[in-house]
Amino acid sequence: MEEIALMNRADRQKILLEGAKKEGKISWYTTLIVDQVVRPVKEAFEKEYPFLQVEFFRGNAERLVQKMFAEYQAKRYDVDIIDGTVSPTMVRRANLLQRFYSPALAEYPAELKDSQGYWGSTNLYFFATGYNTRMVKPNEVPKTYEDLLNPRWKGQMMWSTSRGSGAPIMIGTILNTMGPEAGKAYLQKLKAQNIAKSTASNRQILDLTIAGEYPLSLHIFNHHAYISKSAGAPVDWQPHEPVTATIQTIALTKNTPHPHAAMLLLDFVMSEKGQKVFQQSNYLPAHPKVPAKQADLKPGGGRFKRAYYIDPDVQYDKGNDWVEYFNNVFMK
Amino acid sequence: MAKQPSTQAYDFSLKAAGDRALRNAAALGTAFHFDVVTCVMIAVLLVTGYLVLPPLYSVVQTSLFTTRLTGEIDQFTLQYYRNLLSELRVLGPLLNTLYFSVGASLLATLLGGAVAWIVTRTDAPLRGLGYFTAFASFGTPFILYTIGWLLLLGKAGPINSWLKAWLDQSGPVIDVYSLPGMIFIESLLWSPFVFLMLAAAFRSMDPSLEEASAVCGARIWQTMRRVSLRLMLPAFFSVVLLIFIRSFESFEIPALVGLPGDIRVLTTSIYLDAQKLPPQYGNAGAFSVLLMFIVAATLYVYFRITREGDRFHTVTGKAYRPAVIHLGRWRYIAASGLFLYSLVLLLLPFLIILWASLLPFYIQPSFEALDKFTLKNYITALHFPKITDSIKNSILLGLGSASAVMVLTLFASWLLVRTKIRGRWLLDLLTTLPLLFPGIVMGLAILRFYLFVPIPVYGTLWILWIAFVTRYIPYGIRYTHSGLLQLHKELEEASYVSGASWSRSMRRIVLPLITPSFLGGWIFIFLLSAKELSMSVLLVSPQTPVVSVAIFELWENAQVGELAAFGVIWSAILVSVAIVYYLITRRYGVQQS
Repeated sequence: MEEIALMNRADRQKILLEGAKKEGKISWYTTLIVDQVVRPVKEAFEKEYPFLQVEFFRGNAERLVQKMFAEYQAKRYDVDIIDGTVSPTMVRRANLLQRFYSPALAEYPAELKDSQGYWGSTNLYFFATGYNTRMVKPNEVPKTYEDLLNPRWKGQMMWSTSRGSGAPIMIGTILNTMGPEAGKAYLQKLKAQNIAKSTASNRQILDLTIAGEYPLSLHIFNHHAYISKSAGAPVDWQPHEPVTATIQTIALTKNTPHPHAAMLLLDFVMSEKGQKVFQQSNYLPAHPKVPAKQADLKPGGGRFKRAYYIDPDVQYDKGNDWVEYFNNVFMK
Repeated sequence: MAKQPSTQAYDFSLKAAGDRALRNAAALGTAFHFDVVTCVMIAVLLVTGYLVLPPLYSVVQTSLFTTRLTGEIDQFTLQYYRNLLSELRVLGPLLNTLYFSVGASLLATLLGGAVAWIVTRTDAPLRGLGYFTAFASFGTPFILYTIGWLLLLGKAGPINSWLKAWLDQSGPVIDVYSLPGMIFIESLLWSPFVFLMLAAAFRSMDPSLEEASAVCGARIWQTMRRVSLRLMLPAFFSVVLLIFIRSFESFEIPALVGLPGDIRVLTTSIYLDAQKLPPQYGNAGAFSVLLMFIVAATLYVYFRITREGDRFHTVTGKAYRPAVIHLGRWRYIAASGLFLYSLVLLLLPFLIILWASLLPFYIQPSFEALDKFTLKNYITALHFPKITDSIKNSILLGLGSASAVMVLTLFASWLLVRTKIRGRWLLDLLTTLPLLFPGIVMGLAILRFYLFVPIPVYGTLWILWIAFVTRYIPYGIRYTHSGLLQLHKELEEASYVSGASWSRSMRRIVLPLITPSFLGGWIFIFLLSAKELSMSVLLVSPQTPVVSVAIFELWENAQVGELAAFGVIWSAILVSVAIVYYLITRRYGVQQS
């Protein structure tokens, strides 16, 4: 298994093809949205390799990992590939990932792949403040973190409690980029703004902003605001530099039942060709040479320059502290 | 209750006859009859134990041990109980939880009970509307229903804008993100359950007691207060208890409605804490163990109350079809009450969801939005992966779980109500416990159990079926228990005396008479299982998609319009099933009044 995963020689593709033909399928546990991106990727991949069938199971990070762990404990090895912003890291901590080599990885910068070869990345998420354009005049739009402290916004903002994409991540960015002292001082002032919290997802919170319930939604995905804006909704997004970014990582499991086929899929999703599928699905490709369909959603596209990438390991290790900080400061 | 000399005297001769008959029967066939009872008891205990004990073990274990990243049990700890204690020491969340649970259970019982009474016992027009509303609103996916209300009652929502214009105020008039808002939505969600259960109970009520009261010159409302309502005590207690527990441990409404308004309940911090990695469900486990003790104590009290079960028998050997109460002029007021209930429970949230489903993005109701109408969301929803498989699976699961639960709980209730066999308390406890298991802990327990036990159900629909049956036993038992409690044992005794076997008596006497409760419970569990989420997300496999998980996916990731379109389609399917069911059951007297 390890041999196949780490193989780096001239006839690699040939060996993978031969092996994959015998395996016939791949099982992918994914946190990506089936309807939006998993299906297009599956179709494009199966077109490239007609003898392979991609089966997927979609769930949030926690459930995917729990399912996989339970199966592994019962020595039932169903899953080949697992993805997510934090799920591959969890699996790695349990020592259940297999390092791999893929020629596509060479094209990626260091922050978008694991130094030891445990994960690569498929796409990126950038967070911004969403605002209702009917309720917030252009000159009022909060441009910086400081602007969010304007008394005008007291009780007018909402954010999600989600560990992976909501308030805890924003708290993490603030503490890490401003430094613990200044960060905490800022967050104390932010607390006084009485931000409404909800367990709803970032998408739903943005929809509440579109509906006019809260003029501002903090820390939403910028591409969600863009998609709604394109449909004519009164909404836009405003980045605060450095923009928080999380990485959708993808990894190979330790006892992958279809190693050859799995490697072909990993190669594909990280290749330029596979990345174009992400692009066409309105996702933000991780590949540096593949721009977003709407270029200004990625850094350097015109609307923001710097991104602060939250390393999956940092997200895993510090995430509990951020959740704790949120519970202690904002929930009291 | 104690002051009913006339009716007691009236019952006496029949009862004495029954007792005599029973003695005769006992002389004839004691051995046989009791053997059957023991066998049924053993079978029911085995099945229930098999279903309930593994998750119970898991819940207790979860509350007492830390787990490793991979989910293995690690070290013994009392930390989770200490956390719970410190949480309980802060008065705010505890009080909010109590207000919320008491408020929701009382309001839901009041609403559902009033509607059930009008529908089953009076001659008010529009009575069919009660059933339709209950079925249809229960078929609406939970998340969608709540979102519908938030959109309606939100700061920028239509109700607030009308009220603002009407009362000439600048700010929002109603704050939905508040304790009353939470109670309102939660009790609306549960009122169909109350309605279905109490409608069954009202319909099987002995009219002679009410007639006696009327003969003695009591007015309608006096009869209601002194006789009807008191006879319904066990049924009332059942629903209040159940809704109280469900609200006490629920976190959906508190999270979506309470949290934005900074209303914290006990489950809020448990929920937020469960976001930590590696996942620890200890706090949730400790919380449910605490609830188990509270519920065990409550059940004990309940047992004491209903121990003299004879007092609540309302179906006896006499002609028992309850008399219709003629309301006179009041019937139109009752009908408008029904209409109002239907409007609030069903029509308003449904209309706003329908509205959202027809728009490319959400716009508050207005004329200018009309020209944006589109079917795009419906096209997206119909292209959802494996949608037909999901619908088929969900319906199959609903049919399977509802039937299995009702049959199992009918036997269990019969043992609880009708026999004095030892170990009944155990059965009662076992059948109530699943109510208290946190969905995620129970889902994990079942997942692990069937990965290790060599029964090949993992990855199939069967594992979901097993999980659903276990989860809904407590609901089934509430229906069959209060149904049987009303059934006087003289009817069965008469059957034994006439030489019928136990199974024949069950088939020919008990089953037909308990049909209203049985079918009420059946449809309730069918609709409930169509919504089950917390276990399903863990137990589904790529080959066995179900609708509730698809809706959850949309809820987490899709725009509100797409979620709404999917919800409208699914509600339409469930309502059609419910209407077919309604037409069929009408033939069996469930809906005669």
